[in-house]
Amino acid sequence: MSFFGGLDISASGLSAERMRMDVTAENLANAETTRGANGQPYRRKEVVLQTASGNGFSSALASAVGSVPGATSSQQAGGVQVSGIVEDQAAPRMVYDPGHPDANAQGYVAMPNVNPVTEMVDLISASRAYEANVTAMQTAKSMFSKTFDLLR
Amino acid sequence: MPIFDDTQLALQRAISGSALRQQVLANNLANAETPGFQRSDVDFHSTLAHAMKTGDPNAIESTSFSPQVDNQTLRADGNGVDIDVESANMAKNGLEYDALISVSKARTSILRTAMGLGG
Repeated sequence: MSFFGGLDISASGLSAERMRMDVTAENLANAETTRGANGQPYRRKEVVLQTASGNGFSSALASAVGSVPGATSSQQAGGVQVSGIVEDQAAPRMVYDPGHPDANAQGYVAMPNVNPVTEMVDLISASRAYEANVTAMQTAKSMFSKTFDLLR
Repeated sequence: MPIFDDTQLALQRAISGSALRQQVLANNLANAETPGFQRSDVDFHSTLAHAMKTGDPNAIESTSFSPQVDNQTLRADGNGVDIDVESANMAKNGLEYDALISVSKARTSILRTAMGLGG
């Protein structure tokens, strides 16, 4: 059993939730961007999370050492990782604005498929999950320091 | 009589089980937003209680714990993690760990006193 495994798991959760917050912030910042790098309106991005398998040093060591009492399969717990950032394929919002430089022949402008309400909900959920991981990390830390008390 | 009796061995295993449970619960929280994730938990109490019923010190000392997957699903995306339940479990487990360490430390200090090493 890796001693600081709990901290690594919580850290993976923190970085995944921070990535979600970053992407949500990007979506909100680009809610009115009609010209992206490819000349198309901005498309809403979304983070895809997946369970990480423990592939660090400690899990490699544990599988090499084999069955140590108390070390069973705790190495499978590897936290979470971002498997990719995908673009939302929903159609762009068409807004009638003939004076806009990006308006088409009918006077409609293709606006990004970003809904600020959805983004705010995502932001709250990411922030709550972030807090939960911080709490888990604090619990792990206080447990470790308690263990060091045994040596005194 | 051995220096470390059944209770001390059981305390050591319980500390190890509680530490493993902390990791598993942290993993549940880290995957609170992962679609299709099933939560796991470690029931080290019943495993240890079962080993202690045998009264064999070797059985207690060699008790090993493994996480069990809980097949509950709470949300439409197949995720089975309830952040509040996980946090409560983690707080309980942390307190239990502290209690185990305190009892273990008190018992060790009794032994140290008996050896004339001072508490």
